[in-house]
Amino acid sequence: MVGEDRGATPAASGRGPAPVPEADGPRPVRVMVVDDHPMWRDAVARDLAEAGYEVAATASDGAQALRVLGAARPDVVVLDLQLPDMSGVEVTRALRATSPSVRVLVLSASGEQQDVLDAVKAGAAGYLVKSAARAEFLDAVRRTADGDAVFTPPLAALVLGEFRRLAAAPATSGADGRPAAPTLTMRETEILRMVATGLSYKQIASRLVLSHRTVQNHVQNILGKLHLHNRVELVRYAIEHGLAADPD
Amino acid sequence: MPVLPGACDDEGVSRSAEALWRAIAVFRFASLGYAALLLGVFDENRYSRPDLAWIVLGAMGSWTVVTTLAYSHRRHRTAALLSADLAVTAGLLLSTFALQLPAARHSGLVPVTGPWVAGPVLAWAVRYGRAAGAAAALALSLPTFALSGWSVSVVPNGEVLMLLAGVAVGHVAQLAAALEAERQHTDRVEAASRERERLARDIHDSVLQVLALVHRRGLEAGGAAAELGRLAGEQEAALRALIGAGPTATSADVDLSALLKPLASEWVTVGGPAGSVLVGNAEGEGVTAAVGAALDNVRRHCGPHARAWVLVEDEPEVVTVTIRDDGQGIPEGRLAQAIGAGRLGVSQSIRGRMRDLGGCAEIRSLPGEGTEVTLRLPRPPSPGRPAQEPARVRAW
Repeated sequence: MVGEDRGATPAASGRGPAPVPEADGPRPVRVMVVDDHPMWRDAVARDLAEAGYEVAATASDGAQALRVLGAARPDVVVLDLQLPDMSGVEVTRALRATSPSVRVLVLSASGEQQDVLDAVKAGAAGYLVKSAARAEFLDAVRRTADGDAVFTPPLAALVLGEFRRLAAAPATSGADGRPAAPTLTMRETEILRMVATGLSYKQIASRLVLSHRTVQNHVQNILGKLHLHNRVELVRYAIEHGLAADPD
Repeated sequence: MPVLPGACDDEGVSRSAEALWRAIAVFRFASLGYAALLLGVFDENRYSRPDLAWIVLGAMGSWTVVTTLAYSHRRHRTAALLSADLAVTAGLLLSTFALQLPAARHSGLVPVTGPWVAGPVLAWAVRYGRAAGAAAALALSLPTFALSGWSVSVVPNGEVLMLLAGVAVGHVAQLAAALEAERQHTDRVEAASRERERLARDIHDSVLQVLALVHRRGLEAGGAAAELGRLAGEQEAALRALIGAGPTATSADVDLSALLKPLASEWVTVGGPAGSVLVGNAEGEGVTAAVGAALDNVRRHCGPHARAWVLVEDEPEVVTVTIRDDGQGIPEGRLAQAIGAGRLGVSQSIRGRMRDLGGCAEIRSLPGEGTEVTLRLPRPPSPGRPAQEPARVRAW
């Protein structure tokens, strides 16, 4: 009876035969899977459980995900961008607002670039296409749990394009009260281009004679600039519209 | 009424045309009433045979009813009926000979039909346009001139007004038809794009998900299943590109990102900014061909399973496309050697193409780290694109 419920299934944990080799510490990484496609949701949950992650909850839409968030207390949310009730961008924003420590890994089948970019700007830590191999997916979950940004080449290209767009857009000088567009340093641009053309952090580190950690930090900073800019823009938007709206 | 693609003839129209036909009917009845008023008030002075004049007025009334009923059905608005309308009206106009005093005629007084004669002029104008309206007006001027003894001593105000009315109403009718056709076209495009969106949603929810799963599971299973998985992945990419493509662009510019997207495959990753990267038609074609040539080269020299990444960058002054592979790279001097030996593959296809477009291509290779081809296409300065502020230092 419970099995027929398509709803949230809090914490059927420890199904996996193998212990977690990736997650250090005594507590396994808790993951919530949000996907409206049951076949996909189950496949992803199974993969995660087999790899030793604790599937804290699964949800088939955004509202459900937000409802069970408090009880499930996931470290990582694996989120499909296309949900029946809310956009993935809204879910990302709401998840981050409710629980700032939760890290969102966006899994998208559509490759809908603007949505992916918006989700990343709203606070997602990474993005992966659904057709990525299982190893790639599990690696991405591990890195997300570790606090790294999961920059696939297409995501790096999107982010690079977004910084270029912000830099080229008129009226972002800051003089008119709008926040100045974030800009990348030359080093950050260089690294982003390399990620976008498929070089691994290790290859980038060796090309630029940097440490692996330094490359990771640069990528983190890039994402941080985008998040910050997005937050500032949101606040500005709220103030403008709050002041403009009629008080009830 | 089903909207047939391409059907813009009179079968497919139109609310505005129907409104014009109703306006003609109103005009005919109103002008009939006015003619009756003239006859009732000025009776004594003008008419030799007032009784006949009332009979003519009765005929006018009957004809007004007949034409109004007939014109209310689209299929009756034939050239024959419109010609008959013209002939009957001219005949009634000429009846003035028999019932008006010659003095009244010569002094330019209004014939018994009055402005009612303009009815068929409006009908011709609405049915066939400006020229037909003008022709009908001229045709109906002839009996009036005959009435005045072919003299132009009387200023033909009525006839000029009728001519103007024919031209103006014809113009309005043509304009309305054109707008109607445009609206129908827009409706069709909108319906098509809604349908496309619906299909895209459905396909996304079902087929794409399954293909992605087959792709992933197949690759994991290995062997023959891996081949199936690879094929599913290719179809997934192709289908996604197909449903993602918008309706054909009408502008001269093309989206370079959209042109390059179909090149993505299991082994090739294509990335770029979220929006479209607009370039000229020829430029888009040329750059796409150059990227295709570079990817062919990757396959030829690094094997079918070499991975490649295509990066599109859009900057105000230049569009850059970078193609990198993870092959062994080109040994030093090999490229120059190939050109020297007359094998112009890479050089001709890539460098030549980019030069033709006013851009350039740079091919770099690090031993063991693959080859990187960079295509640069300068943008012509355009008024719509704001000039860069010199104070803002670009990333490079």
